[in-house]
Amino acid sequence: MTTQTKLNEDNLTGLLTEWREGDKSALDKLTPIVYDELRRIAHRYVRRERDGHTLATTALVNEAYLRLAGFQKFTWENRSHFFAVSAQVMRHILIDYARRNQFAKRGGGLQRVSLEGAATDTALMSSARAAELIALDEALDELAKIDPRKSDVVQLRYFGGLTLEETADVLQVSLMTVRRDWRAAKAWLYKAVKSGK
Amino acid sequence: MTPEQWQKVDEVFQGALDRAPGDRASFLDEACEGDAELRSEADTLISAHDRAGDFIEQPAVTEDARVLVVALDHNIGRDIGAYTILERLGAGGMGEVYLAQDLRLNRRVALKILPTLFASDDMRLRRFQREAQAASALNHPNILTIHEVGEHEGVWFIATEFIDGQTVRELIERAALSVAEILDISEQVASGLATAHAAGIVHRDIKPENIMKRADGLVKILDFGIVKLLERPANDFEGETAYVTQSHTEFGEVVGTAGYMSPEQARGLVVDERSDIWSLGVVLYEMVARRAPFSGTTRMDTMVAILERAPEPLLSHVEQSLELQLVQQVIDKALGKERQERYQTAGEMLAQLTGLKEQLKGAPSFLPSSQPVNVPAHASPLRRLLPLFVGVLVLAAVIAAVFFYNGAAPRPQGNSTAVTAKKLYAEMNEADQLAYISAQEQRISAMMGDRPAKLNDDALRSIKGYVDYYLTRSDKASSGMNADRLVEILTRGRAYAPLIGREFKARKVPVIIGLYLPMVESAYHPCSESSFGAKGLYQFLPETARHYGVSQNEMCDVDKMTPAAAAYIADHMAELGDDAESMTLVLLSYNRGAAWVRSTLRELRQTEDYQRNFWTLLANRHKLDESFRRESAGYVPNFFAAAIIGENPEAFGINMPSLSSFAE
Repeated sequence: MTTQTKLNEDNLTGLLTEWREGDKSALDKLTPIVYDELRRIAHRYVRRERDGHTLATTALVNEAYLRLAGFQKFTWENRSHFFAVSAQVMRHILIDYARRNQFAKRGGGLQRVSLEGAATDTALMSSARAAELIALDEALDELAKIDPRKSDVVQLRYFGGLTLEETADVLQVSLMTVRRDWRAAKAWLYKAVKSGK
Repeated sequence: MTPEQWQKVDEVFQGALDRAPGDRASFLDEACEGDAELRSEADTLISAHDRAGDFIEQPAVTEDARVLVVALDHNIGRDIGAYTILERLGAGGMGEVYLAQDLRLNRRVALKILPTLFASDDMRLRRFQREAQAASALNHPNILTIHEVGEHEGVWFIATEFIDGQTVRELIERAALSVAEILDISEQVASGLATAHAAGIVHRDIKPENIMKRADGLVKILDFGIVKLLERPANDFEGETAYVTQSHTEFGEVVGTAGYMSPEQARGLVVDERSDIWSLGVVLYEMVARRAPFSGTTRMDTMVAILERAPEPLLSHVEQSLELQLVQQVIDKALGKERQERYQTAGEMLAQLTGLKEQLKGAPSFLPSSQPVNVPAHASPLRRLLPLFVGVLVLAAVIAAVFFYNGAAPRPQGNSTAVTAKKLYAEMNEADQLAYISAQEQRISAMMGDRPAKLNDDALRSIKGYVDYYLTRSDKASSGMNADRLVEILTRGRAYAPLIGREFKARKVPVIIGLYLPMVESAYHPCSESSFGAKGLYQFLPETARHYGVSQNEMCDVDKMTPAAAAYIADHMAELGDDAESMTLVLLSYNRGAAWVRSTLRELRQTEDYQRNFWTLLANRHKLDESFRRESAGYVPNFFAAAIIGENPEAFGINMPSLSSFAE
């Protein structure tokens, strides 16, 4: 994140609007802010998780959104678009981690789930999971070449944790369309990821 | 496939799915008439649809929440100005704090990175710079030194000296502090405050988290002058404006943590140095009582308590003692609701604390203390204390107390009156804890078949970190799956010990390894909730498990997994050699794989003091890969911590024989 961001609460709304209206550079400015916020909240959720709660993407993103935007009157479109930025950020984070992790772990024999929270311990992604995510990411890029909207649907739902309804709102299509896109994309990706390429 | 071809496949696919399963074949025949390729694509897709089940139905993050947290920390390894970020130390109200290397001066620093949103507010940034500059001019041994406040590619940071120590919060939570220690800490804080106040700087957020004690006893106040910038001016006047505390800042942290706020801070009024004196009084109270003087279920309740209530007297929390009477007086004075009732300067409070400390030196300790007190009560120190007393009645009570306590010191906060023959780990001082760990480490090494080696301080502290971590877990009342109490973990382990003993002995693997790997891996849960791989008492990747004759759906079956784990370790012993110093390496290979262990050992062979064991790797961890530093470096110390506890439950307050006694 090297963007020199001159930003305050007021133009967070502005950036989301600009981005919605097609200004791609607005997204570059939004991303580091979303990043910061997600990180802070994720830390808290993991702490809470130890007490029996589980982390839900939507809850996490929702909270990031509310905290960044709470003092502004945000329109529904803004909210949806914020979720879309988050989905993109989440995908990037997980895939990037999976790639680095797979590389770092190539010598490992056994996978363990750490006793979480202990000093230097960090929970991990198994190499099988990493491989699956990477395969999914690649397949999603392939899908985008022939059917970008279906690829977007998956990004929003799988990485962004959006519901069908929210996805329909972000993409400005009917719920029915999202349902049909989802089932076709899911089958296509399953085939690509699970049955070899 | 072209977009057009795909569109056709999609249409046919959707059409088929819209029909009842029985009608699909005829629909497909018709729709794909003559187009064998289309038909084949559609069939494949439909069959994939039918088999996909819950594939990608759960958002990725439900599976990878913890990964997200780690991965989101894109700062690790990053260069910020002249600093390379090494690891994350924690998070405070002002964003993340990292351990970093100053490349110019080749020293370690703590680097605090401000949240992006904050740094985008020009007015705040100016104020922050001003404050930080003022604070960085403070030069006092009890104030954390600020090296630099700067900006690098839009990221604002503060570099301070790095303190390797424990916060007062951690100290309080770990064990009862002696009055001497408490006075010493308070005195050093007051001394730092006096200097800062003289320079016109008020801290505003004195609390146990912001006071750190180094191993050599030096106390440092953290975050001077940094708190103010989290607040917003109540009006637009520059300078000594009234600052209101935002109850809901965009950073989500409460400025001036509620319980430590002075009444004037809670009211949102202008604060001066006497506000810090109040907060130090609160910290002093908490160090003695090990609970906060003002608390409530909500922030508002806490504030009401601060404004209106007197804290419960210390003496109702701990046994009555002479020392505490005196400490109580200092606290009462610091906690005057009106600031003119308090010490008027930190220097005044410092003088009182110093006097008290001096006078108590050599005096008998009446505080229920973790240290055994052998000094008999005799008259001379008491006489020296006399001028501090306010009334004859108090004196009479004290003298009675002296007689009453003229013997063994009672256990702190003990709800059990039984005197245990062995000293509890939690009641030892740090040096004794390390010595205990050292002795136990040698015993466990011997049980593993390793030649006992004397570990250096760094390695011992690493084990101690995990021992202490297990203990804090056991304090938690939480019922979450990952926060089991120690006693629950050991009770579960006890049930599996006979099986583990049998299977590991059969394969000539030290039973102690079999007993404590599950404590590290799964906290003795026979089946973790992880949806794939790694589940079970011993955690395996599905492929590894298969190789040892356990199919994926048998990974929760302890009767299958236990012999598989024993066989796996036996194989690694054969591969790495079971010579007298390498069982720690066998342990590590369980986490990292034998190939990595072997190649890493080769790399380090030229190292001075090279020994073929894990501790050599630990000592040279800066030369090893990030994955080792972040994760594997803790694996063996964690194992030792588990074994030290499991082999000595009594020393940890658990009434149970050692786990290995159940594996006989």
